[in-house]
Amino acid sequence: MQSALKYIIFGVFLTGTLASCHKADVPVKTELTPAVFPQDSAQYIQASGAVYTVLRGNYAVEYFFQQTYSTNEGIQPARGGNWYDGGQNMTLHYHTWTKDNGYINGNWTWLSTIIGTSNQTLSLLNQTVPAGSFKQTLLSEVRMVRAFAYFMMMDNYGNVPIDTAYQDFTTKTNTARPQVFSFIESEIKACLPYLNTASGASTYGRPNKYMAYALLAKMYLNAEYYTGTARYDDCIAACDNVINSGLYSLEPMSSYLKMFYPTNGPQMKEFVFAIPYDPAFNNGSWPFRCVNIHSRYDVPRSEVAKFSLPFTPSAPASTLPEFYANFNDPNDVRNGQWLTGLQFLNDGVTKVEVTTTKAGYDGILNKGDTTPYTYQVNLTPNIVLRNTTQPFDVGDDEVGWNMGYRNIKFYPDASSPNRNQNNDVPVFRYSDILLMKAEAILRGGTATLGQTALSLANQLRAERTSSAAWSNITLDSVYNERSREFAWEGWHRNDMIRFGKYEGSWGFKTDADVNHRLYPIPTVALQLNPALKQNPGY
Amino acid sequence: MIPTAYCKIGPGIPALSPVFSPRLQTKTLLVMKMTAFFLLVACLQVSANGFSQKINLSTRQAPLEKVFKEIQKQSGYSFWYKTRQLDKAAKVTLDLKDVSLDEALKKCFENQPFDYFIVEQTIVVKPRDRSPVAMPEIIAAIIKGKVTTAAGKPLSGVSVTIKASKKGTSTNENGEYTLSVTKEDILIFSYVGYDSREVKVGGQTTIDISLTESSTTLNDAVVVGYGRASRKNLSSAVSTVKSEDLNAGAITDVGQLLQGKAPGLNISTSGDPNTPAAVVLRGVSTINSSQSPFYVVDGVPGADISIIAPDDIASIDILKDAAATAIYGNRAANGVIMVTTKKGSKKGQLQVAYNGYAGLEKVSSSLKMMNAAQSRAFVTKNSLAYAPNDDKNANTDWQKAVERSSAFSHNQNISFTGGGDHNNYVASLNYVHKEGILSHSSMERFIARVAIEQYAFKDKVKFGVNISNAISNANDIPYRNVVLLQSALHLPVSPVKNANGTYFENFNTTGYYNPVAMMNHSQLNKKYNTLVGSFTTQVKLPFGLTYDLNLSYQKMDTLQGQYLDSYFTANYNNMYDNPNPGLGYHTQQSFGTNGQATRSTYQNTSKLLETYFTWDKKFGFHTINAVLGYSWQNFIIGDGFQVTTSNLPVDNIGYNNLALSNPYGLSGYTIGLGPDGVYQETRLISDFARVNYNYKDKYLLQGSVRRDGSSVFGANHQWGYFPSVGAAWRISQESFMNNQALFSELKIRGSYGVTGNATGFNAYTAQLLSGGNGTFYYNGSNVAAYGTTQASNINLQWEKTATTDIGLDFSILQGKLSGALDWYNKNTTGMIYPYKVDPILVQTGTITANGGSMNNKGIELSLSATLVRKGDFTWMSSLNLSHNTNKITSLTNPLFTGGDSVLLADPEGGGQSGSTLQILKAGKPMGQFFSLQYAGKNASGVSQYVGGDGKLTTNPSIGTDYHYLGNAQPKLLLGWTNTFRYKAFDLNIFLRAVFGNKIFDATRADLFRPSTAATTNILVDAAGESPSDGNAYKYSSRFIESGSYLRFDNASLGYNFKYLGESVKFLRVYVSVNNLFVITGYKGVDPEVTQGGIAPGVDYNNFYPKTRQFLLGAKVSF
Repeated sequence: MQSALKYIIFGVFLTGTLASCHKADVPVKTELTPAVFPQDSAQYIQASGAVYTVLRGNYAVEYFFQQTYSTNEGIQPARGGNWYDGGQNMTLHYHTWTKDNGYINGNWTWLSTIIGTSNQTLSLLNQTVPAGSFKQTLLSEVRMVRAFAYFMMMDNYGNVPIDTAYQDFTTKTNTARPQVFSFIESEIKACLPYLNTASGASTYGRPNKYMAYALLAKMYLNAEYYTGTARYDDCIAACDNVINSGLYSLEPMSSYLKMFYPTNGPQMKEFVFAIPYDPAFNNGSWPFRCVNIHSRYDVPRSEVAKFSLPFTPSAPASTLPEFYANFNDPNDVRNGQWLTGLQFLNDGVTKVEVTTTKAGYDGILNKGDTTPYTYQVNLTPNIVLRNTTQPFDVGDDEVGWNMGYRNIKFYPDASSPNRNQNNDVPVFRYSDILLMKAEAILRGGTATLGQTALSLANQLRAERTSSAAWSNITLDSVYNERSREFAWEGWHRNDMIRFGKYEGSWGFKTDADVNHRLYPIPTVALQLNPALKQNPGY
Repeated sequence: MIPTAYCKIGPGIPALSPVFSPRLQTKTLLVMKMTAFFLLVACLQVSANGFSQKINLSTRQAPLEKVFKEIQKQSGYSFWYKTRQLDKAAKVTLDLKDVSLDEALKKCFENQPFDYFIVEQTIVVKPRDRSPVAMPEIIAAIIKGKVTTAAGKPLSGVSVTIKASKKGTSTNENGEYTLSVTKEDILIFSYVGYDSREVKVGGQTTIDISLTESSTTLNDAVVVGYGRASRKNLSSAVSTVKSEDLNAGAITDVGQLLQGKAPGLNISTSGDPNTPAAVVLRGVSTINSSQSPFYVVDGVPGADISIIAPDDIASIDILKDAAATAIYGNRAANGVIMVTTKKGSKKGQLQVAYNGYAGLEKVSSSLKMMNAAQSRAFVTKNSLAYAPNDDKNANTDWQKAVERSSAFSHNQNISFTGGGDHNNYVASLNYVHKEGILSHSSMERFIARVAIEQYAFKDKVKFGVNISNAISNANDIPYRNVVLLQSALHLPVSPVKNANGTYFENFNTTGYYNPVAMMNHSQLNKKYNTLVGSFTTQVKLPFGLTYDLNLSYQKMDTLQGQYLDSYFTANYNNMYDNPNPGLGYHTQQSFGTNGQATRSTYQNTSKLLETYFTWDKKFGFHTINAVLGYSWQNFIIGDGFQVTTSNLPVDNIGYNNLALSNPYGLSGYTIGLGPDGVYQETRLISDFARVNYNYKDKYLLQGSVRRDGSSVFGANHQWGYFPSVGAAWRISQESFMNNQALFSELKIRGSYGVTGNATGFNAYTAQLLSGGNGTFYYNGSNVAAYGTTQASNINLQWEKTATTDIGLDFSILQGKLSGALDWYNKNTTGMIYPYKVDPILVQTGTITANGGSMNNKGIELSLSATLVRKGDFTWMSSLNLSHNTNKITSLTNPLFTGGDSVLLADPEGGGQSGSTLQILKAGKPMGQFFSLQYAGKNASGVSQYVGGDGKLTTNPSIGTDYHYLGNAQPKLLLGWTNTFRYKAFDLNIFLRAVFGNKIFDATRADLFRPSTAATTNILVDAAGESPSDGNAYKYSSRFIESGSYLRFDNASLGYNFKYLGESVKFLRVYVSVNNLFVITGYKGVDPEVTQGGIAPGVDYNNFYPKTRQFLLGAKVSF
């Protein structure tokens, strides 16, 4: 009996054990799965946010370098091997980059990530957001970010693949540049009816209708180069849509420089589209980071006190004399964006001084001389490769570090706890609209609204210089004006190519290969998508 | 070594089998030995009452063996005989009715060439011509004595037999015995696993004796999954390391205990004592981060091994081939390590044992940076100049400045064991305190453990409770890698402190921070509390069935605090951290002001239910052992939170009162909440079965299968099957081996099986997840963006590793030399890795998927031998050698079609961002170096390299100018243990060697910058370099060195006291030295650079000094 009981107890126990489930699923309680997110309008907005945080990822740093160091606008030589970084800055300067260049790879990945994020976000929002105008506008804004990314892809790499569907893993081969152009154009046109017509805080940082027109204008202005077909009247029409909105105006001379200060933002009447940067934004991991760190590259090490910086900058970047030559009007307010010559603190009297040794000052001339030496920092215009043993190197001494005029348009942010700056970076400004229209007219477009190329240029110049207005205008003078107006804003490469100046010589660069107007399809892209074909000349 | 096999038929204990001394050659002696053993067995045997004493037999030309079986069945008496003995047996024809046992036996043996005698209830078959001579029993004296191990530990249950009369006894719990003898008697002391000894009584009244362990371990029980097996009947590859063979020294990490002790285990420790040793078994079998073996502690799979005090370990079994590991299914691909802790002894009396040591560590090797004179000479010679801020005419050894001159550690372990007829217990307490060799670092750990076994229901049910709790408290150094880097970089001409008592700093040099000030202005404390409790029930059922139910619960709490004081946050804000290469990149650290405090606490829990039936059955020569079970395990990790705040009113409160902070007073400062997605829950459900079959202990077969279901995989692939088969042939049991004397054991094994790997990635890897993608401006607000952070992969499944193993176990020269030889071939497919994918398709740029394959082939040899045994002196030696070849055979993946290679290990030395050192590539091994090939210096003294086009260049490019430059995996690993014993002294010497591997000494490259010698210190070795060679430091083959080394790992000298009176049973004192010397050509701190991870063999940020350790210890039991 006792043993029978034992077996019964045991049997029950056994049955219970074996009956316990074979369900290996675990409910996910701590993550945002599609089952729980997004579910209301606040969440839809949050779900669209990744598109904007990824857009700002490289725009102010690596994308800026790729646009700037390949032109006469900027250069980043090495200093005793520092900042050589595998020659990625050097090859941009010489136009000898390869498909392995870090920036060319990184920016391709960044732009692909914007597109991939947009595709995914569109897919998610399309499934979850209830139909209606809110949905149409939300989706159109995301599509415009994707269109802008495709524009940058097309401008830099030319023949790029077009993927618009999420979860479609088939690899696409290159689309020829004219077709990419058409695709972007049709995307913009499809979005236009649904985009916001307001400017200011409610749409700041996101594409509104006028951002779409500004992008169209930029496309049409370059259409002849991109597609072989001139579209200057279309460019003018797009510009007129922005002008006629009455929402935008030029920043007056007194506040031109402040337009780029850490305090800039939605109140800037001249910004048609800007990318907001703020150290208070969650500085997530790449590509969702928020990084505008111009001071790090642009402010001399010796001027921490002058700009009350919370960190010591490295300052490897400067302009070249060929570009600085555009700043030849002493009455031009835009001269104020440069640091040149002998340096003083903000009182204008106290010298910025550095104490070192004679060898520390000039390691070539005073080699081994340990005599202490104090001097006033003097930024010199020319870049001289004094270090003969290392490539593209100006030397790791005070003379070397003080080479080149520095741009502080994105004025150092003394209020930031770190090197991140609060300066928003404009993509399209009203002044660009005016100059694009002027250029389009000069290039054969039909003048409208009673504006001429000259009147448009003078409208701008009136707010930039107290010198007399121009009496005539040429494409060259528009080019020079653009150089002054948009210095350090990442458009110079686009301008140089359009004006046929990209094959010129400056600094140490002599390359004149027109194939270099396009960057190569980079290694990282070829590795991940074997269907891609390399651009001509690479 | 068993000259011939002995079979026993009858109700005995199958796991036990008799052991005979190799030196006893005559059969008579063998028989007498057997008698001694029977006495032991008889004690243990369950009484076989209730059998009839009347025998009925009716046979016709029946084999004698069959008749024996029948007699045994009817009488309850067992038969013992040599297997081969019955070969000569005549067939039996009988017709007996109700005869006595004696009569039946007489009839049976009538025409046989042998006779029998009866001991207790066992019928022993012996040759007919040599009947034992009955000796008159002349009681001369009562002799007493104590039997101990060579180390002086009492041995209980040792059989003590009088050679002639075969009468005897066995020792009690204290190893003591008493026996009536005559002067002429010779006593034989024998014990399983030990060599027997014979002693002539003569005039002695006390004979104390020590037995040495047999050099063969063939009779040991081996812990396999869900059961134990006898080593001789194993068909799989299992290495066993016993507690006394574990590495000695102030070691707190299980990996380090095993270093060099088992063939196939590649264990590497970094200098940093807080980093667990990297353990790789039979070559890295995956590019997944999970490469280390799966640990099973006292039957609890996945238990935390950090909670085991080394003193509590009884043995460690390393399951190497799939036949052994497949029972652990999708967690077994990297091998399984079974740790068994000490148990209480049944029927023992209370024993209290204490073990303690005190140790002292000193730096044995560190980086050779220039001193002030050397640095100044270099600077002067090369016309460089110190900045006046730096040159204070000091002569500082910055590395010494952050170290202790010697680090003290001590360990106290006390244990109680005991038991009665129906229970046993063990309880132990362990306390260890260890100072790190770096100032401010230390570790303190307290472990308490209780294990109780209680028998109930007529001993048919056994309950067990095992509870252990470990509490540790470690002080570490915040940003330790930065501190160490700074200690190498700081110029010797600068002082630690200025004349006014403030710390020396020179912030004009970028990234230059006083390492002593960094240490003294910060604190980091880590507390762990781990509890493991298990409750086991074992029920003996009829028909040879056993039922086991194991429940266990494990909980680990961590509590961590870090404080960077106001000096630190004021001066070091925006500095870069300094991670290990291959994983992260240098990231800039942003602190608040007026101090920054971080506090975090997380809890990991694991619940386990395992239940299984075991069926043990013998049918004549057939033995079957079968296991059928079910397992359910649930894990929750990362249940907790983290907070980082800043702006504290004073520094004194450190991280202890976050409420006093005022983070909102700092513009732009945000409270840190730690990483996203720490909380993870996983479940693993399994069914498993295994069958072992053996015929006559000669032919062994084994098969197992496990069906594993895991929540971590994609919906399409949650369940997988992991089968294995194994077979072995004990050639030495064959009759044709009778006439040779060379082999006492010879076994061939073969196995094949498939195991899986289901760890090394996040619990929710297969799912589509959104997560924080920063914040963005939206209509005047700073709004959080939540985008996809992980693409779904519904096809994610386990990695598969298929292993073939062929092995040979042998014992020759009467057991003086024994060993095992194994060859294996491991193929891993579907390696889980975050493969790169076009971000247009998957915006995260990676998708964790199965792809690629890897192969490991290798040979392992272990040998152990008794080299000298003369009088009181013995020298035993064991050697293990292993060779492995690793190759990535494919890296393709459906989503990673274009690439066959991944560049990795980017140390990010100044100006060398993006310069990687290694490549993962199909056809190459893991740890393949891929970098610049140094080609000396050109005419102007600038380092040049062989370009991708074969031409020399001084301006090489990343990738295009790279070459394959050897790899990090060793060709040969060697561990060599020598034990010398002389009277009460014993000396153990352990040497360990690694041959044929390369190390990329990136640490050296980074400190090899002649041009910076006036701003940051350089290595003494760089003295011959010229500052005009701007390439001198470039990562290249110049910094790839041979990593071969031979380390004198440990020497321990012990003395075992005898006759310490009644209360002290045993006392041993010992001294020990670790890392006495290393023979190597390697120029870095130490050639032992981690072999684990995805980028093995990279010496990077390796500033942690290597130490030499001296110990003084004592073991005593009462």
